[in-house]
Amino acid sequence: MSNGSNKESTVYALDMRSVSKRFPGTLAVDKVDFQVKKGEVHALMGENGAGKSTLMKMLAGLFNDYTGNIYINGEKKELHTPEMAKAAGIGMVYQELSLARRISIYENLLVGRLPKKGIFVDKKKAIEEAKELLARVGLNDTDPTIDVSEISQCDAQLVEIAKVLGNEPSILVLDEPTSALSSEEVHRLYKIVNKLKSEGLAIIYISHHLAEIFEIADMVTVMRDGKKVETFPVSEATPEILVEKMVGKSVKSFYEGHASAVTDEEVLRVEDFTRWGFFHHINFSLKKGEVLAICGLAGSGRTEIARGLVGLDETHGGKVFVHGKEVKFKNMGEAIKGGIGYLTEDRKTVGLALPQTVTDNVLTCVIDKYSKGILFNANKLGDLVDEKINEMSVYPPDRNRLVNSFSGGNQQKVLMAKWLATDVDILILDEPTRGVDVNAKQTIHDVVKTYVRKGNSCILLSSDLPEVVGLADRAVILREGHIIGEIQKEDITENALLIAANGEGEHVSCQK
Amino acid sequence: MSEVNKKEYKPEAPKVDTRKTEISKFSIIFNKLGIWVIVIMLLILGMIVSKGQFFTASNIQSILEAVALVGMIAPGMFFVVYCGNMNDMGIPSTMALAGMMTVQSINLGFPAAILIGILSGVLIGVINGFMIGKLRANAIIWPLAMNLFISGVIRVVWGGKQLYADKVARDTESAQRAAETFYSISRTYIGGIISLMAIVMLCMMLLAWFIHSKTSFGQKVKIMGTNYEVAKCSGINTVKVTMMVYIFDGICAAIGGIFYAALRKTASYENGTGYDFTALTAVVLGGALLGGGKGSIVGTFGGVIAYGILNNVLSWIGLGTYEKYLVQGLVFLFIVWLNTYSNRKLGKA
Repeated sequence: MSNGSNKESTVYALDMRSVSKRFPGTLAVDKVDFQVKKGEVHALMGENGAGKSTLMKMLAGLFNDYTGNIYINGEKKELHTPEMAKAAGIGMVYQELSLARRISIYENLLVGRLPKKGIFVDKKKAIEEAKELLARVGLNDTDPTIDVSEISQCDAQLVEIAKVLGNEPSILVLDEPTSALSSEEVHRLYKIVNKLKSEGLAIIYISHHLAEIFEIADMVTVMRDGKKVETFPVSEATPEILVEKMVGKSVKSFYEGHASAVTDEEVLRVEDFTRWGFFHHINFSLKKGEVLAICGLAGSGRTEIARGLVGLDETHGGKVFVHGKEVKFKNMGEAIKGGIGYLTEDRKTVGLALPQTVTDNVLTCVIDKYSKGILFNANKLGDLVDEKINEMSVYPPDRNRLVNSFSGGNQQKVLMAKWLATDVDILILDEPTRGVDVNAKQTIHDVVKTYVRKGNSCILLSSDLPEVVGLADRAVILREGHIIGEIQKEDITENALLIAANGEGEHVSCQK
Repeated sequence: MSEVNKKEYKPEAPKVDTRKTEISKFSIIFNKLGIWVIVIMLLILGMIVSKGQFFTASNIQSILEAVALVGMIAPGMFFVVYCGNMNDMGIPSTMALAGMMTVQSINLGFPAAILIGILSGVLIGVINGFMIGKLRANAIIWPLAMNLFISGVIRVVWGGKQLYADKVARDTESAQRAAETFYSISRTYIGGIISLMAIVMLCMMLLAWFIHSKTSFGQKVKIMGTNYEVAKCSGINTVKVTMMVYIFDGICAAIGGIFYAALRKTASYENGTGYDFTALTAVVLGGALLGGGKGSIVGTFGGVIAYGILNNVLSWIGLGTYEKYLVQGLVFLFIVWLNTYSNRKLGKA
């Protein structure tokens, strides 16, 4: 199967033969063979750092120094620049949208090739073309003249796909297209993908969600450590097989229920907490040893509450009690001293100082704590750093390595290690496992469980429902800045959470 | 293929990074030593073109003297760059104001005059730090506007006049002595060989090195320079850190300005013109990343020295002022390229 040099009768839409790409210090993709047929949805799976993004970037023409051959529809192509890749019929839809939010949909769709009338843009024609493209992704009713910032995340994702379709690609790459979508929207996306598939496009689908693979993909290729492990039809796969191939060993079933460590001692109480326009009259309490999930759809105000609690944002009213004492933190430094940590949701922009070493990052929050007068010696704290990164099983366990040379999952572990180093007893985790692989996810979950068992408490903000089900002792439901209900541990299921988050069902006790 | 993989990934065996590959040795060496490679090359070149007279006491002294002023200002500029604020274009007016204030207050005695000069630098540092740190004013535009404002203040207050310490000083013996002491600071040679200015520069470099690599403040600046939001979300008091960076920067510029005024025997609004860019050149030559978070004082010192030696070597070769500019520009472009190149090769940029 892995022998790509055989003459095969079918012409593949995409045929990559023993392609490799070397980065300074690592061979990120190592002689990979990868074939995709026309009219096929081919899932590409692997842990963070397995090499799938590099392989796709190679396809998008971002590297001019890859080795090996790439054939598209039987023809050998050089993909050394994004323009060459586009001309060869490759359409990339990245995880982060590349739309300009403040300009209209049609201008976004036709960027670089707006129809002209003389020296002016032919607006009428442009809008017509845009409408056709939008129809292909099922957005028949969307007005192409409104700004991208005015449409939903899901629609924006579809507009992004439409934009790529405008270049008439024969191969479409979807990189984590569902990471920001609700389950209803995901099904809308599936419909579009199936439609495009029936139009004869070859679709490469990258996702960490196993369930999606079984729903949408025909074939699946698993990569690990820069090499291809295997390609096989999805019908022959089970989630266990896939995980085993990705990780290289069998993983015990995650999300198994954990024994609750909740005690009666209240460590945090929030009363009537308000930031106008973001969240209003929030009341909740947190017990020692408890994992409290705050659930809600995107935009429900979860992150804002967390930022307000630790003093990163201004708040307008309400009281916060930590261990029974009223507190009002003016900045993060005071919050850490007061025993509250906040693991931010976006490790790249507000979580980690990427171009610095693991040591620097892990010690960021404790510089003052471990200073002697004005003196601070990071080298003397090596043991502490090692202890924390071992606790998180960061790989490779090298504290002098720059954080940006780690894979996403390991970066997230470093971020977690940074907060463990603070020794706070209340930790707010904002999307602690977004975009990380199964293995890293399991490590992080295990660490959270151990953390609360030691008598600490967690507030979990997550849109990953299985994660909430697996970790939370209690969930409060947030909707448009108001707490509308609460679900106890025994009643927490993915369905219950989803229904409640939409403001319906038995757990909602509207207390606006 | 799958059999091979099974062998390599036995669950109990420790995971080995099979993908590691070799990196070019030169890039590693250059990245470690940085600008000092260039300094050594320039020294060798200097020895050749000067036919052995390069290492005479008088030549070394003249190199050190030539870079002393830049070397006093560069540590302050380094911290501004390092904390992620690009550069401080307000340095010239800070230097000018410090010179004016010192000369104007020479009647209070020499130590008091120096102190007042330095305090005027602190004041500008506080204002800049507050505006940029607390109110998040643009770190390039604000100091630039401040520069314009301060030089306007100097022109209005002193009516565009130049100040001479011996004329400002009252006709008493102590005041005249203070003025003389003031002039002499730029002309004193410790042990008859090494100038006081060079010593002050070395002390300031040493102080900056200590602050950068040994204190909690240095560590905080590093994180803040790499990513402001990360620093804020990790409990670092970014306002305080920014204030302190600009105060240090102000002190460095003020000390430079005082020596400059003493050297020229005049304090005027145009003192210090161009020193912002020269200091920035030295800092960047030293390998500091303009975006912040990367760089070292050892490198900055190397940048300052390279600047001085190159100038000296070009004089030995006998180039005129115009050609000097051309060659200097070319050499600096080359060094910055080499820096970028070795960083890229190591995957650091």
